Amino acid sequence: MSRRAYAEAQRAAGRLVAAVLPARYPPEVLWAHDVVPVEVWDPPAPAEVAGAHLPPMVCSVVRRGLALLSASPPVDLLLFPHTCDSLQNLSTLLPDLLGERRPCLFFYPPRGPAGDCGRAFLLEEVRSLFRNLDAVAGEPPPHRLREAVRWARERDEALRGLYDARARGQLDAPAEEFYRAVRRTEYLWPEEASEELLAFRRERAGRRPAGVPLVLSGVLPAPMDFLRRLDERGLAVVEDDFLGLGRRFPRRAPDLPDDPLEAAAGRLLALPPCPTQGAPHSSRLAFLEELARRSSARAVVFLALKFCEPELFDIPFLAEGLRERGLPALVLETEPGGETPAALLTRLEAFVESLP
Amino acid sequence: MTLVREARYRLMKDLVLPAALRAREGRRRARKADPLFGPPLKSGAELKRIMARHYALARYAKGARPVAYVTSGAPVELLRPLGFYTLYPENHSALCGARKVGDRMALHAEARGFSPDLCSYARIDLGHAFSGESPAGELPPPDLLFCTTNICQTVMYWFKALAHHHRVPLVVLDTPYLHGGREEGPALRYFRDQMVEAVPRLERVACRDFEEGRFLAALESSRRASLLWGKVLETLKARPAPLTIFDAFVHLMPVVSLRGLPVCERYYEGLLAEAEERVRRGVAAVPGERFRLLWDNIAIWFALGSLARLFARAGAVPVAATYTHAWAETVQDLEETDPFDGLAKAYGRIFLNRDLAHRRDLLLTLAREYGVHGVVFHSARSCKPYSIGQYDMRGALEAQLPLRTVVLEADMADGRVWSEAQAETRLQAFFESLER
Ligand code: SF4
Ligand code: SF4
Repeated sequence: MSRRAYAEAQRAAGRLVAAVLPARYPPEVLWAHDVVPVEVWDPPAPAEVAGAHLPPMVCSVVRRGLALLSASPPVDLLLFPHTCDSLQNLSTLLPDLLGERRPCLFFYPPRGPAGDCGRAFLLEEVRSLFRNLDAVAGEPPPHRLREAVRWARERDEALRGLYDARARGQLDAPAEEFYRAVRRTEYLWPEEASEELLAFRRERAGRRPAGVPLVLSGVLPAPMDFLRRLDERGLAVVEDDFLGLGRRFPRRAPDLPDDPLEAAAGRLLALPPCPTQGAPHSSRLAFLEELARRSSARAVVFLALKFCEPELFDIPFLAEGLRERGLPALVLETEPGGETPAALLTRLEAFVESLP
Repeated sequence: MTLVREARYRLMKDLVLPAALRAREGRRRARKADPLFGPPLKSGAELKRIMARHYALARYAKGARPVAYVTSGAPVELLRPLGFYTLYPENHSALCGARKVGDRMALHAEARGFSPDLCSYARIDLGHAFSGESPAGELPPPDLLFCTTNICQTVMYWFKALAHHHRVPLVVLDTPYLHGGREEGPALRYFRDQMVEAVPRLERVACRDFEEGRFLAALESSRRASLLWGKVLETLKARPAPLTIFDAFVHLMPVVSLRGLPVCERYYEGLLAEAEERVRRGVAAVPGERFRLLWDNIAIWFALGSLARLFARAGAVPVAATYTHAWAETVQDLEETDPFDGLAKAYGRIFLNRDLAHRRDLLLTLAREYGVHGVVFHSARSCKPYSIGQYDMRGALEAQLPLRTVVLEADMADGRVWSEAQAETRLQAFFESLER
């Protein structure tokens, strides 16, 4: 079932649907209000539609997001996490200049090291999102938020389990199938998502397909065609540091406070280091190294999404830092959708051949 | 900080550099008057002197003063009482753009893997960090990086890269974006609390205590300079305008880079007196002023001169700009009784940290107050926060006021994306539309 069909079915079943732009937000708060967050990362909307509103140097995630949202998708509200300058402007362009009438909510994850005031502000943001959702979707019953926190924990556990199995070589799933399964968490109701992830892990238990083990980093494993090409070439993705995937669940079960809103904020604080929140190079390097170590990866490949400033600013020093630590790194410029350019595959092949 | 370095710094600051700059001025031949423009501003010479001294003195600051690299929207008043010598990479990149070396400097960063699509100010500055090249001479490496996200998130990524390269502490003050429909209290409180939390870190880098008296003095000096700057801009309401926004782009430098220092205030006292005098005497920046224009976005530094001539030939005078206005817009907020509250409001509420509805209203207000006939939107290729939204802003303005608008696709400092011929054709058509 496509995201659109799923959203329509959820609405028909009486839930509200929120289109959620990338990347970090507390899903528990939406679930508690019986709102299904359907994330908008790389919808198949024609990015050219956005050309009338956006200048050329805007990433395809924002372009496709704008194209999709302008085409009246079956959603009741919009949530804009403040992830980067481009999303910031999109979050005001739509309601303020393009006449978007559906409720637009915002969420600002604080930047920089989480000092006391950063933590306090994050909690305030989570609370404020909760209140704003009360206004849109009505107040949820008292136990519901606690339940939603549990769903988040279970989904995170399922994701961790799946990622751990892959890293240990105990998952017999090619990259394309793995990411198709994991990316369904971007819109499935959490209980369904956890169930599916657990089932996938059970069904695919086995030895990792033979191949050169790689860690991928970037925004998304896109285009999907790229993953197929990796599989065809006997390259195995064994870990990832994608903004939309491996960086969006805590890699160790965090010790969360009992208060459910504090737990939702605490979960966000436990996420891996991300440039969108100003994580320093040192912590990102340590995280990438750890991913490579635990999965016995032989190299890191950065899929640099064109015009994505948070990622593009970090990549040169990260690649350099990894090489200095003896971990080969390759940077490839990619775009979601379409076929992988032949030149890019040639570079990848040459890189793999050169690995020690 | 050694005593020898301190003595050398003082000697350069008080004696050698002022004398050297005076001597250089004496040798400089007077420029031929350009009939397209009114008499040049006398303050221009003083501006050159101040900025040349600022960059030249930077060379002697290392070891005598802690050196901080600061973003243009950061509350520099926190650094003044701690004696930091402050350099503004954005300002330096603009200078590189104006001297037409921006492209070459950006290449140094691109060669190290930084994408040519990133903010050109950042690429030029990283190029400077990698190569040491600068039209301003040798600049000292920083002891501290001081960054505020109120102008964009890009500065945080950029300063993070600088912190990694120079291995020095980075202080990020995070300023949540203010959406009209949301309560601003928590965001401003958070910004305020970060400033308070940052002070001990700043003290450690400066090896000095934060003295409240000096902080308040810097704040007051900053407030006065911004007020004076606002008054300078107001003189452009006069017809004919005594200076243009192209002049203002250049004369903005001290309020960006020297805010909170007495030299900045003194400079604007002089500039204001001169601008007011020109208004009294009816001196036009562009004789035969016909159309008054509003400019949105940063200057196109490498084409400032050629654009000024192109505009002047058509009798078109840019008299207001969102960019120049930014350093005066929120100055009244500095009057808060709690100085940290004042800083949080003044810096947190700048228009780049507010939604597009606020920007639209600001543009409409400026258009009305300055009696403009048209708006030039500079769509800066590598500056997203300033440029996204401009296409639809045109329609929003045209729907409310009888204005003509044009979009110029360019960049603030990277000349490689600029086509003079294309811009000329587009502007000619725009000027013709103003005749109708
Ligand atoms: S610029 Fe990067 S972080 Fe921002 S929306 Fe695009 S892909 Fe996501
Ligand atoms: S030019 Fe734009 S992107 Fe670059 S630092 Fe300035 S506001 Fe940020």
